Amino acid sequence: MSAGLALLIAAQEGVHDPGGTPAEGVAAAHGEVQGPAEVLMHHVLDQPFFGLPSKHLAFFVIAGLVVILLARLALRSYDARRRPKGLGSVVEVFVVFVRDEIALANIGHDGRKFVPLLCSFFFFILAAALLGLLPFSATSTGNIAVTLGLASVSFLAQQYAGISKYGAFGHLHNLVPPGLPAWLLPIMIPVEILSMFTKPFALMVRLFANMLAGHMVITALLLLIPLMATINTAFGILIAPVSIGLALFIMLLELLVALIQAYIFTLLTAIFIGMYAHPAH
Amino acid sequence: MPTDPKALAYFAAGIGAGLTIMGGAAGIGRLAASAMEGIARQPNAAGDIRGAMIVAAGLIEGVTFFSLIVTILLAIK
Repeated sequence: MSAGLALLIAAQEGVHDPGGTPAEGVAAAHGEVQGPAEVLMHHVLDQPFFGLPSKHLAFFVIAGLVVILLARLALRSYDARRRPKGLGSVVEVFVVFVRDEIALANIGHDGRKFVPLLCSFFFFILAAALLGLLPFSATSTGNIAVTLGLASVSFLAQQYAGISKYGAFGHLHNLVPPGLPAWLLPIMIPVEILSMFTKPFALMVRLFANMLAGHMVITALLLLIPLMATINTAFGILIAPVSIGLALFIMLLELLVALIQAYIFTLLTAIFIGMYAHPAH
Repeated sequence: MPTDPKALAYFAAGIGAGLTIMGGAAGIGRLAASAMEGIARQPNAAGDIRGAMIVAAGLIEGVTFFSLIVTILLAIK
């Protein structure tokens, strides 16, 4: 935070050197705002990180490690009579929720084999989003390449659910509802094949946009400070508590969004798997 | 009147964002109103209704975000 602050102050001093009329100051400022803007843009954009080319990649790996560590520690907290304590009982609540409310409720009796995948989705998305709220961090799911990867895994799981149960031909045959008039087939077949790909595409864009949107709002709110400070330093100081308070509120909202998006991604994946595993209804 | 194409893009992005939010808010508002009504009539089914509501809200929100990304692309291109 202090490094960012120093850069911000330096940029402001650069802005105030020219002086002149207020109108000229604003006009000159628009070129100079680049400094603090670039600092604050770390909320939204990818950037190098300790010699690594991509901060999102680094936090993608960190989120994965956090999930693995969490699972290992949770497993170790079970005692000899298979009772969890401490961390294990917290993780168990979520795992049981994913198993009963998401997997079994939407895929059905054969949903148990998808529970590990759905749990991985849930905990990874949650960990990535929550890590993004820490100082000096980045939300790896705010990068469309990361969500593309997650959605690809979801797509493969959906196709696997259909193909493993009915075979490749049976799976494709199931895409068309039974009892359809023959003249509708030329319309229905392209539509069904298209919807096969739009489902994971929508998952990808939804998660990406949700993770990006919150951080974009935070960036915009914090950018108000240097923007006002270019008009007058007093305006900047006056707007700072308002901006920081609103940004804090959005960050609290992001906690909620992190949970909801992890839930929605997992739930929709389970629903789509269920659609391919039980095509009749 | 000479017009800067960039200004038109900003103009379009602003109007587009507004229209997007109007659509999304109308959709989610209707959804929430109906869900409330349903819960008031059948408090036993509150859990099921809430789950279905969140899924539907997620789908509406997804479409809204498609359009918001288009407006953002208009503004930053």
